Amino acid sequence: MAFESELLALVPRLRRFAASLSRNAADGDDLCQAAIERALKSRAQWQEGTRLDSWMYRIMRNLWIDEARARQRAAKTFAPEEEGEHVGHAGDRDIEAAVELSDVARAMAKLPDEQREVIALVLVEGLAYKEAAEVLDIPMGTLTSRLVRGRGALLELLGEAA
Amino acid sequence: MSMISEEMLVAYADGELDEVNRRRVERTIAGDEALAQRLAAHEALRARLSGHFAPIAEEEAPDRFRALLEPHTKVIDLTEARAARTRRARPGWMTGAAIAASLVLGLWLGRGMGGEAGPVGISGGKMVAQGSLAKALDTQLASAQGGDDVRIGLSFRARDGGWCRSFEGAAVSGVACRAGADWRLEQAAPGHGTSGDYRQASSGDPRVMATIDQLIAGAPVDAAAEKAARDGGWK
Repeated sequence: MAFESELLALVPRLRRFAASLSRNAADGDDLCQAAIERALKSRAQWQEGTRLDSWMYRIMRNLWIDEARARQRAAKTFAPEEEGEHVGHAGDRDIEAAVELSDVARAMAKLPDEQREVIALVLVEGLAYKEAAEVLDIPMGTLTSRLVRGRGALLELLGEAA
Repeated sequence: MSMISEEMLVAYADGELDEVNRRRVERTIAGDEALAQRLAAHEALRARLSGHFAPIAEEEAPDRFRALLEPHTKVIDLTEARAARTRRARPGWMTGAAIAASLVLGLWLGRGMGGEAGPVGISGGKMVAQGSLAKALDTQLASAQGGDDVRIGLSFRARDGGWCRSFEGAAVSGVACRAGADWRLEQAAPGHGTSGDYRQASSGDPRVMATIDQLIAGAPVDAAAEKAARDGGWK
């Protein structure tokens, strides 16, 4: 029961992380729900005494990567004529959603996944570099170089380059 | 060319440097305007991103997640569920702003009647800055301020083309946009000098950042453009 209530307390942060990875809040909530369901099923794998938030971030990020890959495959299979223009997107729904995207969401969506997840963990979730590197299971050097590239791209996309 | 790498600048903006390296960055940017601007851009980016997504984390967990994680609380009949939802529904931030604003009004308009002019008044049915707040918004530059009553945060162009500025004061903090000769308050919350349960609206406050994010076209202006806008009367 403690596990559930700890998870519930994390929901606000998990929804925020999911939203920063997804194209919109609704997709974010779907991702968040999938992550919680996965966590409930795999709760035996969580080691008491370790950080539940890091574990949850990792689950969500892995689901998101799986989903992104599946979406890319689907786009290639079903919409070859749109390749190049909408690679990695699933068609009409994306175009509709794109209309409502804010500048920030639009810029985030243009980042490669590997930069986007780093930006989401460090700038949106406020994790320390070390914590973010652990969630992503990458060396610190890889984290910082992705962060620098992602930040540079966002500054350009959002017109904040000095 | 400076000795500070982009990586180090970014680490500074993310609060990841130790004391020695932090000092080194600070010393270098003190004499390097371009680097100082690049750092400001990185800091503004962090504030903007965290402000953009912050409102989500301030909402209570929606029912679908409660249903997953509170197995013992059955969702009862529809009327009850709906009533519970209404009870639970917190006002969104804009509503919160309106409440905070009316609080501010009550406090400072009331005081205004006692003879002392507060920082907020009503003009044409809209809440506007007056007195020291209006003066600060008119004249003060974010790049050059000392121990003033009001601190200016960011200055930026709104999507409708007008100028807006975020500010922080003892009595009231928030965001104001130029409307004719007035500064119309887009957001007002009790400032850092007030006590009570209301959260402060400091420049890093996610609510202020969220308001800025909704209003802003492009990016906040730099010191030179801010000065030019002031000298031009914020037109």
